[in-house]
Amino acid sequence: MAFVITSPCRNEKSAECVEVCPVDAIHPGDDMYFIDPDVCIDCAACEAVCPVQAIYAEEEVPEEEEKFISLNRKYFEEIS
Amino acid sequence: MDKEMYDVTIIGGGPIGLFAAFYGGMRQLKVKIIESLPHLGGQLNALYPEKYIYDIAGFPQTKAKDLVDSLVNQAMQFEPTVVLNQTVEGVVKTDDGYFQMVTNKEMHYSKTILISAGIGAFEPRRLNFEHAKQYEGKNLHYFINDLNHFADKDICILGGGDSAVDWALMMEPIANKVSIIHRRNNFRAHEASVRKLEDSDVNILKPYNLKEIHGDDEYIQSITIQNLETNECVSVELDELITNYGFVSSLGPIKEWGLEFHKNSIIVDSTMRTNVEGIYAAGDIVTFKGKVKLIATGFSDAATAISSIKTYIDPKARQQPQHSTSLFEKIKA
Repeated sequence: MAFVITSPCRNEKSAECVEVCPVDAIHPGDDMYFIDPDVCIDCAACEAVCPVQAIYAEEEVPEEEEKFISLNRKYFEEIS
Repeated sequence: MDKEMYDVTIIGGGPIGLFAAFYGGMRQLKVKIIESLPHLGGQLNALYPEKYIYDIAGFPQTKAKDLVDSLVNQAMQFEPTVVLNQTVEGVVKTDDGYFQMVTNKEMHYSKTILISAGIGAFEPRRLNFEHAKQYEGKNLHYFINDLNHFADKDICILGGGDSAVDWALMMEPIANKVSIIHRRNNFRAHEASVRKLEDSDVNILKPYNLKEIHGDDEYIQSITIQNLETNECVSVELDELITNYGFVSSLGPIKEWGLEFHKNSIIVDSTMRTNVEGIYAAGDIVTFKGKVKLIATGFSDAATAISSIKTYIDPKARQQPQHSTSLFEKIKA
């Protein structure tokens, strides 16, 4: 399991999540941030500080945002 | 320096390490705990001390820091040696099968090792300036040990979470002047603390970003901060700079000890033994078929690991311990 950043982050990129992540799992993409699912420890610190409620636990991602689960994962597969 | 040989050295003083220390006492092992932070409690203290936990068996709800206090009390009944502020960097197995562990400060000796390091060693998120390091231990602080040190000084606190706000409130009555500098317009601390802060004499500077630190060979003398809305820069003179940017953790050197990993978890068998004879692991750092990462199951890993260590050190000992109701009285007698 991991936390996932969804569409409200697009062009918001407020970055509170980056500051609180204890394992530095959150990286900047072009127009939004992504969480590395292999590094995320499910502590939920990011979910609490997101000013636009863009972050969900993987199994709680709303249906219309589900594509972000693979987008988060894909981002890290591409940069690694 | 403590050259004593221990039966088991527990790396990581979080909930699982603490319970393992208790259980080591129950099995009459000589126990040492090594913890990277200046306090015990692991993630519970570093990440969410004020949050409630609802899945500790027998406790409908318990605050994380209260659980730590109980675990510390339980473990200390057997007086384990507790080493704080040290991170184990290297582990070497000697020819006679014992372990030497080198930390950032000294050498430790043990017959076995139990790794309960969770997500790795925590350390404070440090300032991102190369020359900041030289002021650590002088007037740049990531931890506060002695409040009196700050009496009558001009103090700057960086950060916007609970620790930053709490330290500002504690120092305000004794310091000459306290400024708190935060990158956001809203503090992440408890509402009640933020209200107290706003009513206090603390100088609140937000939304400001730290731009530069200025100092001589010895001390930081001032900092330049930039307003994130107006871009205006301000210089603030100070005697002491306290940084509360939270914690980061990493497995770091543990990955170099010859242990078998799957992703970021150490592979153990059902006895909590790793691939290195004499090294055991428990809690969030391990993986095995069916592993569930919870405090509840970590406690179980710890008891299993300690029992395996007991039989490794003393092959005549039983893996299955006696019930604590009878065992505890016998040991304490």
